Amino acid sequence: MLKRQVVLECIAALLILLFLYASVSKFLDFKRFIDEINNQPLPNSWTPFLVWCIPLLEIAISVAVVFEYTRLLAFYASLVMMMLFTIYAILILTHFFPYVPCSCGGVIRKLTWPQHLILNLFYLTLSILGIILQRTKHLKPISITKNSFV
Amino acid sequence: MKKIKWTIMSLVVLFSIGAAFATRPPKLQALYYFTGSAYMPVVGAMGQNWICVSPTTFPCTYTYANGVYSIYTNDAQYEVIGIDGTPNPVGKKRN
Repeated sequence: MLKRQVVLECIAALLILLFLYASVSKFLDFKRFIDEINNQPLPNSWTPFLVWCIPLLEIAISVAVVFEYTRLLAFYASLVMMMLFTIYAILILTHFFPYVPCSCGGVIRKLTWPQHLILNLFYLTLSILGIILQRTKHLKPISITKNSFV
Repeated sequence: MKKIKWTIMSLVVLFSIGAAFATRPPKLQALYYFTGSAYMPVVGAMGQNWICVSPTTFPCTYTYANGVYSIYTNDAQYEVIGIDGTPNPVGKKRN
């Protein structure tokens, strides 16, 4: 039980590290972030929505993952977000879009698209693991005794 | 246990914010692209008049300070889109 809690806290800490770092980096250089979103092979009309939605959602996940009450919701939100990022990275790598844009965002901008994909898959796995551990946390182990069969 | 948890969480939050500040790029200056032989100033806005495309032979855009050109957007190639009737080479939608 204690081991499970330690693993859950570690997953929460890693998610905070990623999402809080990424969101603060975006707000610290917001003009550049707008440019980088414009550079993506998506309609530029999406930019005003994406530039606010992505970092605010990242901050919301970072906050929600800290508290026990909202942690499961944060893991689900993280899973959805990482799934979207992963699908996007796969589409980029399979040349689905007319061109491959630069990969951008803080230190993470130094990563290539395959490295991005690996990072996304790692965090996707962490989110799934977090959901499983959090969901089964309050389940009592089933005890099989002789009386069970009577 | 709770005390340890909150200490670690606080440290992680401080570290994340601190790291974001520490890796913050310098304030946006004039940008340049490399033609292969010379540095030319970039005209217009990223994603609207020009884009950075990956992979490439040399970085996309540079900043200039104290006689040195530093990489601004790396691992990408500068491509002009839609300036003065220039054909859109990569199909980037303009809005």
